[in-house]
Amino acid sequence: MVERNSVKTSLINRTAKKFRRQKDTLLNATDKTWPWKLLLAVILIGVAASTWGAVQRIDYQWRWNRVPQYFAYVSEDAQKIPFDGKVIAIVSQGKDVAVTVASGKAEKAVLTVAADTLKVTDGEELLSGATVGFTKSWHLGPLMLGLWTTLWLSAVSSFFGLILGLITGLARISKNFTIRWLALLYVECIRGTPLLVQIFIAYFFLGTVFNLSRNVCGVGALALFAGAYVAEIVRAGIQSISKGQTEAARSLGMTALQTMRDVVMPQAFKRILPPLSGQFISLIKDSSLVSVIAITDLAKSGREIITSTFATFEVWLIVAAMYLLVTSLLSQLVFYMERRLAVSD
Amino acid sequence: MIKAQNVVKIFNGYSGVVRAVDGVSTEVAKGEVVVIIGPSGSGKSTFLRCINGLEAFTEGHIIIDGVDLADKKTNINKVRAEVGMVFQQFNLFPHKTVLENLTLAQCRVRKRSKKVAEEKARMLLRKVGIHEKADDFPSRLSGGQQQRVAIARALAMDPKIMLFDEPTSALDPEMVGEVLDVMKQLAKEGMTMMVVTHEMGFAREVADRVIFMDEGKVVEVGTPEHFFTNPKEERAKLFLKQVL
Repeated sequence: MVERNSVKTSLINRTAKKFRRQKDTLLNATDKTWPWKLLLAVILIGVAASTWGAVQRIDYQWRWNRVPQYFAYVSEDAQKIPFDGKVIAIVSQGKDVAVTVASGKAEKAVLTVAADTLKVTDGEELLSGATVGFTKSWHLGPLMLGLWTTLWLSAVSSFFGLILGLITGLARISKNFTIRWLALLYVECIRGTPLLVQIFIAYFFLGTVFNLSRNVCGVGALALFAGAYVAEIVRAGIQSISKGQTEAARSLGMTALQTMRDVVMPQAFKRILPPLSGQFISLIKDSSLVSVIAITDLAKSGREIITSTFATFEVWLIVAAMYLLVTSLLSQLVFYMERRLAVSD
Repeated sequence: MIKAQNVVKIFNGYSGVVRAVDGVSTEVAKGEVVVIIGPSGSGKSTFLRCINGLEAFTEGHIIIDGVDLADKKTNINKVRAEVGMVFQQFNLFPHKTVLENLTLAQCRVRKRSKKVAEEKARMLLRKVGIHEKADDFPSRLSGGQQQRVAIARALAMDPKIMLFDEPTSALDPEMVGEVLDVMKQLAKEGMTMMVVTHEMGFAREVADRVIFMDEGKVVEVGTPEHFFTNPKEERAKLFLKQVL
C-alpha cells in the first residue's frame, strides 16, 4: 500500500515536472524571439543607412520643407480700396481687423483683413486700388486633391467592378452555353491584356468613337478590369460551397434564385472577402495608371508637384506613403469584417 | 402515394455509360415505411434522389400524389415542398442558426410569417429534443444533434413523404440511436417514409417492406420477416451474410 502510494506520488511529481518544463519551453520560446527582432532591426537600419549613404554620394539636396504646402496651404487675397479715400476707423476683431474707408463723395466701405497683414494706419489717405491688407484662407493642396480623385475613382470603379464581377461570375457557371462563353471571353480578354493598354483603348479608341470624357473612360477601364478578376473570385467562391447546400435548399422546394441568394451567396461571400478585398486594394494602386490619360489623381499630382519643385525623391516617397496609408486602412477594415463574419464558425 | 415505373438513370462518365438505376418499379402507399438496402453502388441512393428530382432520370415515370416528374410541365419546386429529404451529411446551413435553418424555407416557399414559422420550428425542435439549441449555429452541435435538426427542417415544410438517404452513415456509433429514435417516432405517427440505410436493426423493426437492390435493379422485395429470415435470391443471401 505504502509502495503504491509512493509510486502514485512520484507519478504526480513527474507529471508536475513535465508541465513545468512545458511552461518553461513556452516562456523560452517567447524569450528567444528577441535576437530575431534585433536582427530585423539591424537589417532595416542597414537598408535605411545604405540608402542614405548612396543618396549622400550623389549630392541630393533634400527639401522636405517644400512638401507640407502641397497638402494644404494658406492663400492670401489682397483687399483693395475701390475708390480714392481715407481710412476713418480700424476696429480689432480678434485675429482680424475691420478697416472702414470713406471717400470725399460719401462712399463708404468696410474691409476685413488679417491683423498681421494690415498695411494702413488710421487717417491715412489712399488712392483707388491701394492694398489695405490680406485675408487668409486654408486650401487643400494638390496632394490632397489628388488623393481625393484617387479615392473616388477607386470607389466608383470598385462599385461597378463588383456588380460586373458578380454578374459575370454567375454567368461563368450558367447552364446556357452562350452566356457562359460570353463571360469567359470577357474574362480572358481582360486578364490577357495589360491595364495600361486597356486604358489607352478606352480613352483613345472608345472615348473618341463614343465621345466619352476622360473620367468616364478611366472609371470604365478600371471597372472592366476589376470586374474580370472579381468574376473569377466570385465563381471560385460559389463553386467552393458544397453541392449539398444547394441540394438541401432545393429539396425544401426553394427556387434556384432563392437558393443562390439565401444559402450559397452568404456563405460564398464570407470566403471571397479576403481575395475580394485584395482585388480592391490592387485597384486603388492600379488606379494610378489613369494618370496617363491626364486624370489628376494622386500619382499625377505628384508628377506635377515635381515639375515645380524638383523635389523628386521627397514627393514620390510621400505619394507612396499616402497609397500605403489608404491600402492599410482598408485591409484593417476588412480584417475587422472577417472577424465579425466568423461568428458562425 | 409514390409510383415508380421502370425508372432508368444513366450516367455518362469518363469510364463509359453507367446504368445506375436500371428499370426500377415500385409503389409506396400512404403511411408505409419502405427501407431500401443493398451493397454500395447498387443505385439505391440514386433512385431515392430521383424521387424528389435531385437527379433527373433518363427513362420511366415517377408519379407523386398524381404528379408525374417526367412531365416537363411539372413544377419540381412544388413537388419538393411536399417531399422532405434528409441527407447523409446533414447539409445544415452553417451561416444560419438552428432556428433559422428551420424557418428559411417555411418563409420562402410556404410564405408563412416569421412568427408562425418560428412557432412551428420551436415545436419541432422540442419534438426532436434540441429546443435548447435553437439559437446556436450548427457547428456547435454534435453530429446526432445536427441530423435531428435536419429532420426537423424537413418536417417544418409539412411534407407528405420523407426520404432518408443513409441518415446515420456519417454519425459516430453512439449517436446513431438518437437519430433512429426520431425516425421510429415518425414512422409510428404514420409518416410515409422511404429510407436508404445500412441499419438492419431499424429495417427489421420499423419497415413495412424491404427492397433489396443490386446493380441498379430491384432484386428482392418483401416484408422484413421474410427478407431477413428466408430470402430467395442468392445475392440477397450473400449480402445478408456479409452485413449481419
